[in-house]
Amino acid sequence: MAEEKDLKTILSQLKYRDDAKVQEQIVDQLLQVKTRMGRIRRKILVMSGKGGVGKSMVTVNLALAFARVGHKVGILDVDLNGPCVPAMLGLKGQRFTIAEEGALPPIGPLGMKIASMEFLLQPDAPVRWKGPMELSPVWLGLQEMSVIREFLADIAWGELDYLFTDLPPGAAADKPPVLAGYLPELDGAVIVTIPSEVATQVVKKSISYARDVGIKVLGLIENMSGTVCHRCGAEEPLFSGDAERIAKEMEVPFLGRVPFDRALGGAADRGEPLLDPEQPSVGHFAQIAERLTQALEFKKLMATRL
Amino acid sequence: MKFVCRKCDTFMLFEKLESPAEASLGITFECPECGSRFSMVTNPGETSMVQALGVKLGGRTAPAEPMELTRETLKEPNVAEATTEAASATGSGGKCPFSSMISGMQQPGLQMEWSREALERMEKVPAFVKPMLQASVESYARNSGITLITPAVMEASKNASSDMAWAPEAERRLENIPSFIRPMARKEIERMARDRGLTTVTAALMDEAKEKFMSMGI
Repeated sequence: MAEEKDLKTILSQLKYRDDAKVQEQIVDQLLQVKTRMGRIRRKILVMSGKGGVGKSMVTVNLALAFARVGHKVGILDVDLNGPCVPAMLGLKGQRFTIAEEGALPPIGPLGMKIASMEFLLQPDAPVRWKGPMELSPVWLGLQEMSVIREFLADIAWGELDYLFTDLPPGAAADKPPVLAGYLPELDGAVIVTIPSEVATQVVKKSISYARDVGIKVLGLIENMSGTVCHRCGAEEPLFSGDAERIAKEMEVPFLGRVPFDRALGGAADRGEPLLDPEQPSVGHFAQIAERLTQALEFKKLMATRL
Repeated sequence: MKFVCRKCDTFMLFEKLESPAEASLGITFECPECGSRFSMVTNPGETSMVQALGVKLGGRTAPAEPMELTRETLKEPNVAEATTEAASATGSGGKCPFSSMISGMQQPGLQMEWSREALERMEKVPAFVKPMLQASVESYARNSGITLITPAVMEASKNASSDMAWAPEAERRLENIPSFIRPMARKEIERMARDRGLTTVTAALMDEAKEKFMSMGI
């Protein structure tokens, strides 16, 4: 009886064949992402390490700030289990339309194209997958990764100047590396925090994590920086921390502060975002957008100013 | 996943896909030499995992429809159908969680010597980030004359920029960049310096950077 070869020796003599055509399909999926994303000039993640810091609110208003000055803008809401971007933009109840060129995204204020899990769900229904939930640790992560891949590959975004991707809270886990993997030409991430000591400690972890997975941190935004008394107009801090100090410590651009604004919150709740440039919050986001543009184009500044 | 026929020392080939029970796949493989066949049967968790890839085992007979996987696996999808004809994909290249797996099939192993502890640490990094991290650590190691990569070297590579010296004129010129994005500019210049094996950022390097970014038309 011939001596059985070890597996390493056998494999070194064999040529891999994609006979089940799995690799071929995965490559096709990637090409589709690349083709679709190739028509979008700037791709930016909006993330935070901590929930409840107003990340979706910042995403929406930052995107509006870019759209207001004439840019073609899209928002991808990848908070699959708690999507809220459509409600903030008055798009609740809208759906994708499946067409020849892909899934057509609903159009929001200022012509922004919006994609969200919300557009695939029945009203007020949570995300329910067909798989066995008791075995979800086996497959759910892969499922969500593929859903994100479809959002990137199959939404008919067309030509865009900016695509802002709103990540779920506690994003320092699987979603940022998944997106970075699909988007090697990702411009980077904007990190949102509030000036509480607890949140700023977590935001440091988010910055480190983004760097570890190869995502450039474009800047830090301090949300809910303070509050303006609606009776006397006096501005008061809500927390005792300082995100600008953290930005300096972590060597990331500080993009600006957004004080808590009842008008902004109310507008989001009504699904009627603030568009009037005279509104203080609109002005804050315009300034942040200007700084973000500089952060995105810092090499251009280096070319002219060094 | 591949199976090897230990009688013939060859890969068995995919033959067919069946659904022998609810939430179960039966995948049959055949040895192209001796004709031996066997079927692998999946449990519901494994079935969902295969489906979550968004591929059809054995190949597709029609292109995937937009958002096909998401719509098919949601219990209550809600979309408007304008037409069912799918968009086609063109282009080349691409990089995603699977691209490193695919390239890993073709080019296994690391080029520089890595300690066991460093490799273990690298294993914890998401697969698709590995090539970038590997390149960054090895670039730092090469520039530092290090041939064995240990966890300490990996850590040092992350903080490498702090070791870079700056000539006074270079430092002064950096102040022309708005302060809030100066750290980004500093990192970019230091990265260029390291790529060239420099330990000091000089005015000449600043000229080179300026010329580089000018020529890129960015």
